[in-house]
Amino acid sequence: MKELENGFHISFFKPTTKHARANRNMVIWLVCLWIVAIFGFQIALYVFQKPTPEPSLEMYEANWKQVKNNTATDQQLRDFSYAALSVLGKVFIEPGHKAALDKGLSLAVFHLSDSAQSVMVSEQIAKFEGLASSISDITDEGYKSAKAELSETASQILGLDKSDARRIVLPLELVSVSDDELSEGDIALIEEAMPLYLTHNQSFLTDTKFLGFPFHYFYTAVFLLILFVGICWLYCVRTDRINKKLNIAD
Amino acid sequence: MKKIFIPFALLLLPAVTKAATAATALEGHLQVGPAIILITILTLFVLVGIFFRAKDTNDYYAAGRGISRVGSGMAIASNWMSAASFLGMAALMYGTGYHGLAYVVGWTGGYVLLLILMAGQIRKYGKYTAADFIGDRYYSQGMRAIGAIIAILISISYCVGQFGGIGLMFKWILGIDYAWAVLIGGAVVLAYTLISGMLGVTKNMQIQYVIIIVSFLIPLFILTAKFDYFWLLPQIGYGSVVSDAITGIPLNETGQLLNSFGHDFAMVPAPEYAMPWDPSTGQTFFQWIAIAFSLMVGTAGLPHVIQRFYVVPKARDARWSVVWGLFFICILYWSAPAYAAFGKILSANPEVGKLAKDAIVVYTAQLGNVHPLIVGLLAAGGVSAAFSTVSGLLVAGSSAFAHDLYVKVINPKAPPKKQLLYARLATVLMAIIVALIALLDLALIGQLVAVAFSLAGCTIFPLFLLGIWWSGSNRSGAIAGLIAGGTVSLVAITYFIAGKQGVTLPAHDFISYWLEAWYFAWIGAPLAILVNIIVSKLTKETPIEIRKFLIEKVHT
Repeated sequence: MKELENGFHISFFKPTTKHARANRNMVIWLVCLWIVAIFGFQIALYVFQKPTPEPSLEMYEANWKQVKNNTATDQQLRDFSYAALSVLGKVFIEPGHKAALDKGLSLAVFHLSDSAQSVMVSEQIAKFEGLASSISDITDEGYKSAKAELSETASQILGLDKSDARRIVLPLELVSVSDDELSEGDIALIEEAMPLYLTHNQSFLTDTKFLGFPFHYFYTAVFLLILFVGICWLYCVRTDRINKKLNIAD
Repeated sequence: MKKIFIPFALLLLPAVTKAATAATALEGHLQVGPAIILITILTLFVLVGIFFRAKDTNDYYAAGRGISRVGSGMAIASNWMSAASFLGMAALMYGTGYHGLAYVVGWTGGYVLLLILMAGQIRKYGKYTAADFIGDRYYSQGMRAIGAIIAILISISYCVGQFGGIGLMFKWILGIDYAWAVLIGGAVVLAYTLISGMLGVTKNMQIQYVIIIVSFLIPLFILTAKFDYFWLLPQIGYGSVVSDAITGIPLNETGQLLNSFGHDFAMVPAPEYAMPWDPSTGQTFFQWIAIAFSLMVGTAGLPHVIQRFYVVPKARDARWSVVWGLFFICILYWSAPAYAAFGKILSANPEVGKLAKDAIVVYTAQLGNVHPLIVGLLAAGGVSAAFSTVSGLLVAGSSAFAHDLYVKVINPKAPPKKQLLYARLATVLMAIIVALIALLDLALIGQLVAVAFSLAGCTIFPLFLLGIWWSGSNRSGAIAGLIAGGTVSLVAITYFIAGKQGVTLPAHDFISYWLEAWYFAWIGAPLAILVNIIVSKLTKETPIEIRKFLIEKVHT
């Protein structure tokens, strides 16, 4: 008996029986497959990724200098507003960033308005803010109508298309502003926020579509789980076969 | 990748709107239909528990070893599919996008390790508990006691997240305060575990699996059909939801697709939801890898999971039950990201306001206008998921106390009746401790549960892995390895608690990043294995009886 000669020592890497050898080889293969499938793919994702800006970031970068220096044209103010709304529409945004962007957006809307529009927008914002702080139910008709009114006026000023999802965000982000320009602190926060929320790690692995998914998402969320079940199934079938072949009873 | 130093908690704060928000309207009152469904399901569980009540210690610990493969697979899945799977996973993906998939991969990939490295061998070893194995394999009563204490700590840590989930669901259904919800829910799950023991638990787990999976899938079919996606297989159909979230969804001029507040099913582009390690989430590539790895080694070291292999008749059944178990688990894990994706779009309007992420599964169904009774069934499924796991954990923890500490170390002549009494007392004590910690609401459910995984990965996993596969691993090596893994765990958990208390310890940022409480096993587990090997090589070899046992019983 090899075990006796070996002093009854067991080591996964130094099997002494046919069964142990077969098991070791199978386990090594399956573990390698498992490692490559999980970590290999994530490493590939990491290696190929490139920080990719959303179109809104490019729009912001092209116009920010002029907006900051109060020398922006109407179109530049509009482009900045679109970019700001793209960030404000995200579900998770830091309160400080949000406050600075709210102010930047509101100032842009006021600068784009003529005097009559400016008065109207300020009145609508004040009315909406008052209702928002007094009602407990957002289905309140007065509240809804004030919101729709403000949305329509501001969307017209910004030239937002009827189907543009940023229209949803717009009335909720306009605020009454007492200053005429952004403070140094607001500028710093906006400059920090825009690239943070509008840059994403992308590559051909994320841009390729598979069954409706971005490929990397499908691979990790769906395929890997199928593979895990497959590896387990394969292991059990192979182990049963090895045991049968070597007459080993469980 | 550059680490973004934006505090995670701050980053996850949703946009604070000046407007009134809809979040409060989603709960805060008694939901009668869901409450009736929950009470019916809980009564069913208790009746099954009474019917299959444990008659002696053998029944209590290992359910008489009379459970079939598929049945055991269902019990594994039910035992596994906790509040962290049912509620927590979607919460993590809702909050951090692709980063949350590290939990999906970690919690499923670990079963591969568990199966090919341990399941059959653990069954062949023929012990009742993890501490039993450690005590026998490392021929040390001290190691048995330490193993039992670690098993108890892991069970407590794991249970905290579950109690949090139970609290959230009871809060939603009963419309009461979170603290009361935790206490009421905790009392119900405790009563149920005490009445049934593991035999009832195992039977219940099969019923619970069916309830959990049905309640989870029905709303998903409805959501995909309602919002015009491929509903026949929502686990694939939601791929287009993810892609739509990336590109943004324009306003629907026909006004047909609305959430329950009348908001359009529309949103601005949100690539951060699906792109890997997005800067705005504050999560990095390293953290993704560390979490996935820690959860995987933790899976293979969790006492209540390992313990499930003792309840199947043969090693072959233990192996096949893992395949079935993993398949049953994956049905839920394939589906959970869909809730996060729908939740992201349905809550995209800033008016929806701040939603408790851990309840996003239920909120998503509500926002998607799913019938209230079906939403109630979903919430009851969440409670069932937490119940099934808590029961298993309390049994594992109380077994560790009564069987491994009391009988094997303190009073070997204790009669079975006394053993059972101590097991039950331990269950009550653990439930009280868990409820008190859960009231602190320390982190997301998934994160709290991940702490238990890292702890298991640093302590129990290395002992089992080397104990089964290398006879050279001896008592001194095991103790040294345990000290190494335990030290890493202690440092990580100390820094986590200090951080929560607002205390800044030396090198706080550095330690908090590299040894975060949810993934410290990435270094703790390999270190414990390495130390175990080195010390074992340098000290007296394992006794011949243990080596013979390994050859003759475990590997033949």
